[in-house]
Amino acid sequence: MRAALVLGLILAAAAHLLLPLTPLREAQAIDPDLADLILVQLRLPRTLLALGYGAVLGASGAALQAAFANPLASPDISGASSGAALGAVIGGYWLGLTQPLALAACGAAGAIGTLLLLMGLAGRRADTATLLLAGLAISLAAGALTSLALALAPSPFAFYDAFDWLMGSFTDRSLVQAAAALIPAGIATVLLLRRAKALDLLALGEDVAASIGVRPGRLSVEVIALSAIAVGACVSVAGAIGFIGLVAPFLGRSLTRGHPGRAMLPAAAIGAILLALADLAVRSIHLDRPIPVGVITALIGTPLFLWLVLTMRRRLAS
Amino acid sequence: MPAFASLLAASGVLRVASLNMCTDEYLLLLARPRELASVSRLSRDPADSSLWRLGRRFPENRGDLESALGTRPNLLITMGGGGKATAMIAGKMGLKTIDLPFPATIQDIASSMRRVARALGDESRAQAWLGRLSRLRQAPPAPRDAIYLGAGGNSVGARSVEAEWMGLAGFRQRTLPGGRASLEMLATTPPKILLRSTYRRNERSLGQTWLDHPLAQPTASRIIAVDGRPWTCAGPLMIGEIERLRAAL
Amino acid sequence: MTSLVTTQVGIAGRLEPTGLTVEAGQLVALVGPNGGGKTSLLRALARVERSSGTVAVGGEDVDSAAPARRRHLLSFLPASRDFAWPIAARDVIALGLDRPGQDRVEELIALFELDQLSARPIDQLSTGERARVLTARALAARPQILLLDEPLTNLDPYWVLQLMAILDTAAQSGQAVIVALHDLTLLPRFDRALLIADGRVQMDEAPTSLMASERFEEIFRIQAAKGGWAVRR
Repeated sequence: MRAALVLGLILAAAAHLLLPLTPLREAQAIDPDLADLILVQLRLPRTLLALGYGAVLGASGAALQAAFANPLASPDISGASSGAALGAVIGGYWLGLTQPLALAACGAAGAIGTLLLLMGLAGRRADTATLLLAGLAISLAAGALTSLALALAPSPFAFYDAFDWLMGSFTDRSLVQAAAALIPAGIATVLLLRRAKALDLLALGEDVAASIGVRPGRLSVEVIALSAIAVGACVSVAGAIGFIGLVAPFLGRSLTRGHPGRAMLPAAAIGAILLALADLAVRSIHLDRPIPVGVITALIGTPLFLWLVLTMRRRLAS
Repeated sequence: MPAFASLLAASGVLRVASLNMCTDEYLLLLARPRELASVSRLSRDPADSSLWRLGRRFPENRGDLESALGTRPNLLITMGGGGKATAMIAGKMGLKTIDLPFPATIQDIASSMRRVARALGDESRAQAWLGRLSRLRQAPPAPRDAIYLGAGGNSVGARSVEAEWMGLAGFRQRTLPGGRASLEMLATTPPKILLRSTYRRNERSLGQTWLDHPLAQPTASRIIAVDGRPWTCAGPLMIGEIERLRAAL
Repeated sequence: MTSLVTTQVGIAGRLEPTGLTVEAGQLVALVGPNGGGKTSLLRALARVERSSGTVAVGGEDVDSAAPARRRHLLSFLPASRDFAWPIAARDVIALGLDRPGQDRVEELIALFELDQLSARPIDQLSTGERARVLTARALAARPQILLLDEPLTNLDPYWVLQLMAILDTAAQSGQAVIVALHDLTLLPRFDRALLIADGRVQMDEAPTSLMASERFEEIFRIQAAKGGWAVRR
């Protein structure tokens, strides 16, 4: 299975980078260096962002689900993605920050803020209903505040950017932006992956984990902080993208026989593949208006989300 | 007829109000200070108007009849209709209205200049501007392939009045699909001349971030920064822009 | 002889600072009324909650031991049978080991007669079956001290006896076993009994003498009667 994932990742990356082939061939005909220029300056940031952001959503989704002991926790449902968008918008449009790293920090701050709010509202070991309600409430509020912040921003054109912030976009991002997002996100994700074993032990229950020497409170805080940094940095460049953080961990756990901590790595690979394919689908649809990639992820994710809810119902009933 | 309007008409003092930024330009160029009742809010905003310092000397209106009335005008200038209702209501109140068309060509702008000068009582006031225009028209430089680039890659139509102005400076605006330049196109076939608008450059938006992308500044093009503000209306203020561009080459 | 030594472990509001020494191979029962502090004592010994005092096993301080080492020192089985994730029974048991060991897992599956159920997700098992899986997990790393909170509660009579036999074997091999329980009929099978009430160890002696004492009847508010116990007047 591992081999299949790696192969899928390579294929998805290659497809996302090279398709459509025609413009590259045309550029090649004009000047060989031109095709390279387009590939490196235009296509590469886009592909790196799609793969990296997808991996972050998978890994942090799995980590949050392990820490909250709930298969429905995820960056979007917990409000982290919306909070990150709010942070980045305020930082960029109101505080006038232009450096991509500064914006990444604002995104991380926004995500941490909403996750802390969620912990305060729902508590760490909340049942599904409480967690969902609190998370959705925070998510909706943050989304609305983001739209408001854009509408009232100094620039009159800010409001038209709302679509990109709330539903995600990878078009015309530069290498600098990709680096500003993916370097902090990468570091945070690696630190998350190192906690796989501890998160697996958390599955035995907080008490047992504590007796083994894992500190559940501290682990949860670390997971929240690292997830917020990773998701926040990505959102600051590409906007909030939903459902991948819910679906990829679920699929990841099916490959690790249910272990929530070990699932972070396969979830990251699956998330990367899903998001790259979603963005590829978006680019293949030829319309005047660009469709935000969040629309496609919602189309993929909603049926799976509904199925998850139904299986949870069955599990609670038995 | 309301009391103040009839009094003013009787006294012969002209007070003109302009309801949008593009008509403000004519007024600010041609009217004497005592003749100017109010200009729209945008003409007092440095982000939107290059004449903002001049505009700040006068009261503002919010672009509608109601807010203009407070400054007691007896002549109203609107553009593109300004709502049929405005002219009708203004008429009922004894206010004269001049409605200028949206300029499709530079000739339209010249006609509007004469018309406003006439309404102010002295058509010769437009002479200076018209003189500058004819000098520009005398020997335009040979046209070169050019693209005007605004936030998000938005450009101007190849047959628009903006393109006609560019022609007077020796730039031929390229025909672009959807009126927008893409990063691929700029990389693959960079224009000889790239006019980069600095409109609202310090205000963040995704469109401004687009302009920071390396491919939006092609090394093969000569990039000239232009003040984007006069380009919004592409009206009489463009004379200064074109003169400056001609001199820069 | 490895043993458990504590110095003044306590949990504010629920357990007064308690000093306790348990020898290797001892089978210790914790009895007492509901809410009296049995669980609190086990949690304090397992270092689950922030508690004062220190716990040393075989001279080694538990708090400063790394997680990999801790599993060899002590293990804790809480009373709750809840499990958040649908992980297969054999994998749950394997989580108790710090290094993968298929042989040990198979051994425990056989010991707890889970062969038919080993591949099934734990959330699809009955409470009693789940209890066996979780207990097997607690025994997996062969810790020196076993801290079990009501391990017999969900088991059928066959399994009550089987588990007691398993705990006997553990004690004989040198492990110290501390068990909180409610079923007083099992008490005589233990070497030592601690009676805990109001957050304090009230009595600490051999089970038979404990059960015969006046104090025992006072605290439990029951008295010996024909065929068992009756409410004390």
